[in-house]
Amino acid sequence: MDYDAQLRLQAFLDGELAEAEASEVTDWLARDREAAALLEELRHTCEALRGIEAGIRLPESREFFWSKVEREIQRLEAPAPKPAPVPLFALLRRCLVPATAVALLIIAGVVLTRPTGPSGLTPAAEIETALADSGAFTYRDYSAGTTLVWLSYPADNEVAEDDETDIVE
Amino acid sequence: MRAKVIPGTGLVWFSMALVVLAGGEVCARAAEMKLQAFLLWGTDDSKPPEGRTYKPVEADIRQKLKDLPLKWANWFEVNRVAFAVPQGTVKVATMSEKCQVNVKNLGGSEVEVSLIGKGKEVVKRKQSLPKGEMLVLGGNAPNSTAWLVALKRIE
Repeated sequence: MDYDAQLRLQAFLDGELAEAEASEVTDWLARDREAAALLEELRHTCEALRGIEAGIRLPESREFFWSKVEREIQRLEAPAPKPAPVPLFALLRRCLVPATAVALLIIAGVVLTRPTGPSGLTPAAEIETALADSGAFTYRDYSAGTTLVWLSYPADNEVAEDDETDIVE
Repeated sequence: MRAKVIPGTGLVWFSMALVVLAGGEVCARAAEMKLQAFLLWGTDDSKPPEGRTYKPVEADIRQKLKDLPLKWANWFEVNRVAFAVPQGTVKVATMSEKCQVNVKNLGGSEVEVSLIGKGKEVVKRKQSLPKGEMLVLGGNAPNSTAWLVALKRIE
């Protein structure tokens, strides 16, 4: 049996043939046992498929399902939106906030670790804590950054006893 | 998204703060004072005594001494000691058999200087000694000469 004959049987089964053509097929089926067997098989197949389709139902209406598919396709095909331009103030703020924080940290670090003497002396302060030599005097040359402490050490009688450089050597 | 950024940024800032504070602390702890102590002999003679090989004092020190109310025309270097004093420690600079200088680094630019002569403390002085400045301790020596201990901060 050729392909067209098979299709004709399928059309007969589906009730798609005109009345005259349908009566021809009926005659053909009465004569041809192979064609009758194929029609029977097609009928059983259709019934079986009909039973399967009846068990599957969409949770939503057909129209709504397809509209979802359509909307998803449109969404994917739509061009990506351009990012909104960042305002100048926001850019400045983005840079200034970390810069300010860094500056504050550095200032805090410098202030907290600023070297100060244990006695809390200011740099210019000076104290003679002990002076065995009562005849000593102090002279400060601020421009040269030199402090002179002149002592009466050694005593005059010691000076007299020593040679010129014995005092230092 | 914002909630993820904030903890990360906060951690970075916290780390930076620790680094800055720790770095500053390390710098402060590691502050070391470098000094030079000179034992000098002053005279109006142009040459050192016979048998002595004293060198004339360095130009910058001579200039500083010239600005001080000292009458001697020439200064000779008898001895020189360079030393470093870490913060909170005391270093002894032996200038001669009879003379030594004890320097304590009090932190910052503060020092405590003791002059020891013939085993006895002659003077103890606490003052600031910034870089480049000099503390001069001195007295009379025989034959109208003078001795000086000049303590100069190098760093």
